[in-house]
Amino acid sequence: MTDIAVRVDNVSKSFRMYHERNQTLKATIMRGRRSVHEDFWALDDVSFDVPAGSTFGLIGSNGSGKSTLLKCLANIYQPNKGKISHFGSMAAMLEVGSGFHSELSGRDNIYLNGSILGMSKKEVDRKYDEIVDFSGVEAFIDQPVKNYSSGMYVRLGFAVAINVDPDILVVDEVLAVGDADFQAKCMQKFEDFKTAGKTVILVTHDMGTVSKMCDNVAWLSHGKLLEVGAAEPTIKAYLDTVAPGASE
Amino acid sequence: MNYLKEMLSSRELLANLTLREIRGKYKRTIFGQLWSLANPLALMLIYTIVFAFILRVEPEPGDPSGLDVFAVWLLCALLPWTFFANVVTSGANSLIANAGLIQKVSFSRIVLPLSLVGSSIYNWLFEMAVLLIVLTIIGGFVLPWLPLLVVIMFLLAVFAAGIALMLSIANVYFRDTQWFLGIILQMWLYLTPIIYPSSLITTQSEAHGGLLGTDVTIEFVYNLNPMVHFVEVFRNLLYDNRWPDLTEWLICAVWAVVSLFVGIIIFRSNEKKLAEAL
Repeated sequence: MTDIAVRVDNVSKSFRMYHERNQTLKATIMRGRRSVHEDFWALDDVSFDVPAGSTFGLIGSNGSGKSTLLKCLANIYQPNKGKISHFGSMAAMLEVGSGFHSELSGRDNIYLNGSILGMSKKEVDRKYDEIVDFSGVEAFIDQPVKNYSSGMYVRLGFAVAINVDPDILVVDEVLAVGDADFQAKCMQKFEDFKTAGKTVILVTHDMGTVSKMCDNVAWLSHGKLLEVGAAEPTIKAYLDTVAPGASE
Repeated sequence: MNYLKEMLSSRELLANLTLREIRGKYKRTIFGQLWSLANPLALMLIYTIVFAFILRVEPEPGDPSGLDVFAVWLLCALLPWTFFANVVTSGANSLIANAGLIQKVSFSRIVLPLSLVGSSIYNWLFEMAVLLIVLTIIGGFVLPWLPLLVVIMFLLAVFAAGIALMLSIANVYFRDTQWFLGIILQMWLYLTPIIYPSSLITTQSEAHGGLLGTDVTIEFVYNLNPMVHFVEVFRNLLYDNRWPDLTEWLICAVWAVVSLFVGIIIFRSNEKKLAEAL
């Protein structure tokens, strides 16, 4: 595979840390337009390519910039510098059940959530049975989702999101949902994804998942890219810094 | 042009979010959609008692319709006003209320304030339908004016949408906006000839002449308020049953276009930064 699905090109992202922020009109008027802040670079000149058809993992300790990078990939944040280009349609799953309305039924919420995630009504119609089937909440599909257990809620959200069926799927730590049975189903779904030649980019702290699923891994630390390459050696290098000898 | 295309492609999302607002709003209430009438009716009752009964405001009878009922005369302007106030207030809060969604999903953000315009339109249509029935019962002849009524309703919705877009962004950066807005809308209501006829302003204006030794009269300043013109057109069509001045139409149209244009420009230049700013 030499095709590239996503190219991250010298991407930097900074956030302003406000010491005194003009969040009220009074503050703005009193202090003029100035607000006191310094820049915090959450991502510093990160570049890598994600090969098409592979599963790509982002690893690193808390605060290393994984989620920021994911949000840049998902087109939620705009990088200050650099460019992210993707070849093929892209969907992000940073949270499941975004935009669910608790008073509406599961059925209504499938359509609502589907359209928030960019599916047309026709597409949802077509995938409706599959979504309901995957979520395993058929019996309660006409009940308002506020009556769902948290597991059912998350499963329904996940079922909609996974059925968006993009070429490139960006996933945050949402795999840890549902019971063992459902997790196995999710894993199977990701396998299917891969067989279909789709690309998955995921963030997780569970090294087991990473080594099981990912072909390539990028290791971030304090906003900088330390290593990118085949999964096993990169994971090993990362674990060695966290707890030397632990990966043995 | 690209932006227009993007908006067009998210019209299905807009429809779904509007439906979410409509369906979710009166869910689990006994009276359901009737609640949409409760607020204007309560206001009507209060204003009728205070202004028609105690303070004795006497608007001219409808010309040529001959209608002479204060409560109905009031509603003809009050319903458009409450619609406007609803759109502006809920629109201003729309981005903050959906902060979670904005930070987790990438979609055309403009549908959030616009979906509230949509759900308010739905409620407003319901209220206006009731008003039309009442008008017909008491002897108004509104049916021929319906097409024009639709036009002015559209213009007011566009005007309100533009303001809502501007305020939704302002509210993200300055949370004071929503509190200011409550006060401003209250003042704005009294600066618009809704509970008193605009002829009272003309009288006062003529009595005082130019302000501070200039040619600028009270009436001139008063007419800078766009809602004055919208209300005038609504009353002409609904209560008087006559063709409003062409200038009034033009003023309303210009305000609507300018408001939407500025609203979209402000929204567009800020929407990419929303996820961080919230």
